[in-house]
Amino acid sequence: MPAMKSSQTKRYFAGVDIGSTMTKVVIAGGDAETSLIGPTGPEHRKLAHRVMEEALTRAGIAFGEVNYVVATGYGRINVPFADRTITEITCHAKGLSSLLPSARTVVDIGGQDSKGIRVENGKVVDFVMNDKCAAGTGRFLEIIADALSVPLNQLGELSLAADKPAVIGNMCTVFAEHEVISQLAGGEPVPNLIAGIHNAIAGRIVALVKKLKIEPDVAITGGGAKNIGLVKALEAKFGCPVLVPREPLLTGALGAALIGQQMYESAEKTGKKLATKQRTLGEASFYS
Amino acid sequence: MGIWESSMEYVLGIDIGSSFAKAVLLKGETILSYAVKPSGGNYSETARTVSSAVIEKAGISDADIAHTIATGYGAAAVDGADRTVSDIVCHAAGVRHSFPSARTVLDIGSQFCRAIKIDDNGRVSNFLQNEKCASGSGKFLQVIARILHMNVEDIGALSLESKNPVKFTTGCAVFAESEAVSRIAEGASPADILAGVHAAMSAKIANLTTRLGLSEGCAVTGGAAKDSGLVRELEAELNLRVLVPREPQITAALGAALLSKATKLE
Repeated sequence: MPAMKSSQTKRYFAGVDIGSTMTKVVIAGGDAETSLIGPTGPEHRKLAHRVMEEALTRAGIAFGEVNYVVATGYGRINVPFADRTITEITCHAKGLSSLLPSARTVVDIGGQDSKGIRVENGKVVDFVMNDKCAAGTGRFLEIIADALSVPLNQLGELSLAADKPAVIGNMCTVFAEHEVISQLAGGEPVPNLIAGIHNAIAGRIVALVKKLKIEPDVAITGGGAKNIGLVKALEAKFGCPVLVPREPLLTGALGAALIGQQMYESAEKTGKKLATKQRTLGEASFYS
Repeated sequence: MGIWESSMEYVLGIDIGSSFAKAVLLKGETILSYAVKPSGGNYSETARTVSSAVIEKAGISDADIAHTIATGYGAAAVDGADRTVSDIVCHAAGVRHSFPSARTVLDIGSQFCRAIKIDDNGRVSNFLQNEKCASGSGKFLQVIARILHMNVEDIGALSLESKNPVKFTTGCAVFAESEAVSRIAEGASPADILAGVHAAMSAKIANLTTRLGLSEGCAVTGGAAKDSGLVRELEAELNLRVLVPREPQITAALGAALLSKATKLE
């Protein structure tokens, strides 16, 4: 039974990235990579085991076959079955470097934060982060999309039709929302408003990342990287082309899986075996 | 004779704020009527509605109005105003009418929160405002009221029932909204959420006040001053009793009307 034999030699490494807005799982190893993306929601403490279960079903493997599980992201401590937790900054650097090895500066635009990371050989050299203010984060885009009644995933495409981007004077998300609504009432076309919003966010992010020594190539990751209008606005403000991975939401989870693999294999080389949790899935129990 | 005659005229003060439009009708220094309406999108129209409301209430006609002074975010849109005055100056004048002893005014409007210093002559000697961020403004209360499905007016009373205020890790109104949603999912009571919001806002406002320098006699104005929970939290944060006018939301409109007299005297 050759199929049986080959499955015994397969190894799987899972990365679970619980972000403030989206939860991502990557199972690396085997014949192909499996991934899953879903909303985090307010009850993320009860969620991790469910997304893991679904990812395993997709991969067609049992949890017992996964050699190592690394959790990352804002909700990483709420993954009771993770063998290890690692910060999303480290995971983003690793994941992005594996996809786009030439990247030296990584800009991560997440649901509730934005970060600039300087990377060398897949490792973090320096980073800056904004998680204090919604300006410059995905949340800003969500709120504006809502105010304009435009689906979030269409903002980018729509903004490309702008003939003259609106000037958005407010940085605060709450006030910018108000400003967008009044400009809309004043007859400003929607594409111009969206382009104006992209410029405002890009300005904010570039100001943050400039605290680092920016080195090319610059890569954009996180949900914000899926917005082509924002990516173009960032290119204009950075003054250089930027790279975007094929699925920017998965960078952190992929990095987590790869770091897990690396740790597992280097331990193995020295004849050690890493301690792992019991391979059972259940919701986090330390919170009630 | 100028003083007496002018003081018996009907004077209208209109304050078009970013969320609410307010009008006050004065005869001498007596408030005959006042009105508060949502600002909406068309400020000129709202200004007419809110003026008609006070004129009707007082039982006089448009022609009886000797002066109209406009102030606030949308002051320029008030057609027929004799002049416009900065709302900071109007707040100071309005507070002086209610509390002659006040030397500091904290105005918490829906977009701005500001601290204003008044000298012994009722003049504005200095002010600081936060217009860049909603963290210390009434907008924060509106955002939280929306997710709790309640009216902003009911926040104060409910917040006073809090036994275990939620500690927000953020000062950002947007992030606080998501944090509140998570805390509610975990079982936090609306009262505890609101008390937590009051603490976060008070910290911001107190910071502004401290930077300006707090003088004896501190009044709180603007729509958010109607929130008794916020006022109590501010008192705790500033460690003093604050003065709140009976109708804090109309302070700038009142000040505008009072300032028409000042111009006559000049």
